[in-house]
Amino acid sequence: MADKDLTPPRSSAVEQSSAMQPTRDPGATLPDLLEVLLNKGVHLNLDLIISVADVPLIGINLRATIAGIETMIEYGMMRQWDEQTRAWVQRSLTRHLPMAEGEEVVAAMAASHYQDDFYGTWRPGRAYLTNKRLIIHRRDPAETLWQADLDAITSVESFTESSIGGEERLRLKVVLRDGSDTTISALDAKHLLSLIRKQRQLPEASATGTAATEDEGPTMNGTMWYLESFAQGAMWRGGRATLTPEGLLTWKSPMDNRPSLRIEPSQLKAVHPEKHTNPTDYAQVLRLETDRGDIRVASPDLDRWQQALGKQPEKSQEVTSGTAGE
Amino acid sequence: MSGATLYVYAIIPGGSPAPTITGIDGSPLHTVDADLVSAVVHTHHSSPYEGPDDDVKRWVLEHSDVIDQCWNQAPSVLPVSFNVIARGSEESGATATDQLRRWLQDTGEELMQRLNDLAGTSELRVEINLDTDHFSQNEPEVTALKADLEGKAPGVRRLLEKRLQKVQKQLTETAADRLYPEYRSRIAAQCQQLQDYATTQRPEGAVSVLTAACLVDSAHTSQLGAELTQIQEETPSAQIRFLGPWPPYSFVDIDAGLVTAQGQTGSV
Repeated sequence: MADKDLTPPRSSAVEQSSAMQPTRDPGATLPDLLEVLLNKGVHLNLDLIISVADVPLIGINLRATIAGIETMIEYGMMRQWDEQTRAWVQRSLTRHLPMAEGEEVVAAMAASHYQDDFYGTWRPGRAYLTNKRLIIHRRDPAETLWQADLDAITSVESFTESSIGGEERLRLKVVLRDGSDTTISALDAKHLLSLIRKQRQLPEASATGTAATEDEGPTMNGTMWYLESFAQGAMWRGGRATLTPEGLLTWKSPMDNRPSLRIEPSQLKAVHPEKHTNPTDYAQVLRLETDRGDIRVASPDLDRWQQALGKQPEKSQEVTSGTAGE
Repeated sequence: MSGATLYVYAIIPGGSPAPTITGIDGSPLHTVDADLVSAVVHTHHSSPYEGPDDDVKRWVLEHSDVIDQCWNQAPSVLPVSFNVIARGSEESGATATDQLRRWLQDTGEELMQRLNDLAGTSELRVEINLDTDHFSQNEPEVTALKADLEGKAPGVRRLLEKRLQKVQKQLTETAADRLYPEYRSRIAAQCQQLQDYATTQRPEGAVSVLTAACLVDSAHTSQLGAELTQIQEETPSAQIRFLGPWPPYSFVDIDAGLVTAQGQTGSV
């Protein structure tokens, strides 16, 4: 197939006033088709069916570009895949990096290790967080730049530092049991930090943090269910809600690319508890009255949410730039 | 291992017409039938498909052509991923056909339930990006930076341009965070289900707002299209891709994974 067939079809944004027509042109949709056919479809019973088995079925290049695999690995979202895809990803991730028995990569992302020798140099590679270790490894030429057993890590804190270019960069300081520490940077240091803490079951940043500075935390965050409306009814979706000190409430499902809920304090008119079937043990949910209509959320921590949302400062009506007519 | 394997394309309701086209590399197709459902397969004599990317692309297209034809002829179809191959059992001596038929028999009710759920639906994909340059053109910060560029030495200019791009990107990202919930709820109102997906095709000079697979009642595709036209008219800097209709590839989920489980416990 000619490469030109793969250029993204901006032309599909039709300039007609009637309904936009979807395109099935394989030239435009091939990358999408590849993604779905390689990753979706019926999950067949593994006992009878060999799927990817032990054969790297397709050229690594193609496979690696599919379905944001990289992104999902960066975000430690392996669990979103079926066993076989995970096995395949684990193998391809660790082909150049020996793993111990039962060791699995949880997340991997571009990262650097600060080598604190006479010169002090950043050595680029990739951070691999496994269920046993944190590793900074360079693929070519292959060298493990730094590694530590998760058990040996006593704390991980983030701090900001000005890079040579003058930009503020978030770094991670990892302290080991023997008292030594090391500094690493990573593509998404904040996220890596939370993954390490989760994996290691370390507490959030300690109050006595030395050079560590943490962003001012949210007022409240935690598990929340959001009742999303579809053409035929509504569905409870699980995710996390965050309420900032400014009163902005957001809710995001781990399956979504951005928060699906975003309620500015000025948009929130009132909060009412109300009886409604929901996935928690509570009989009640919260109905958030907003200028875009009512939104229902449920939480195992409903009372605290109600309190936190209820004491939002009432603001005068502001015209929001939204255009959703409801 | 005992003999030939079966390469599986799709599961269709029992009694549906078998596809008339050929499969991958011209392989003749047949069905393996159980009481409730049938599998569309070809007899396979080699290992899973493996080769250069261009070959894989061709195979995947041929695979999807088969699913497409099933989808056009049968009331409903469960697409099977590329390279799913059934084999016989060494222990029992059962052939691949025996094995596959037994699986279809054992899971027939579950498969049929899902086929019924998906009858009359299509998958459509919506991608909405914002062109950073176009979107931010009237922002004071951007116009000021652009004015600053005029008559600057190339070195300084490069730095300023970099800064300009960063500012444009930030402004557009902020807007994307604001627009996502709105677009999502408007699109969801036209869908039975909606699923975000990650895409590796990073849009050049643009910020991705939303990339969603939509399960839509096939008869209502034009309503989703009309909503997108509306969005396009409101936001000229939006670049909208609208793909499909496809068989419901992203909504098969028969093994009661997380999403289905939530749907069951939580739907109202």
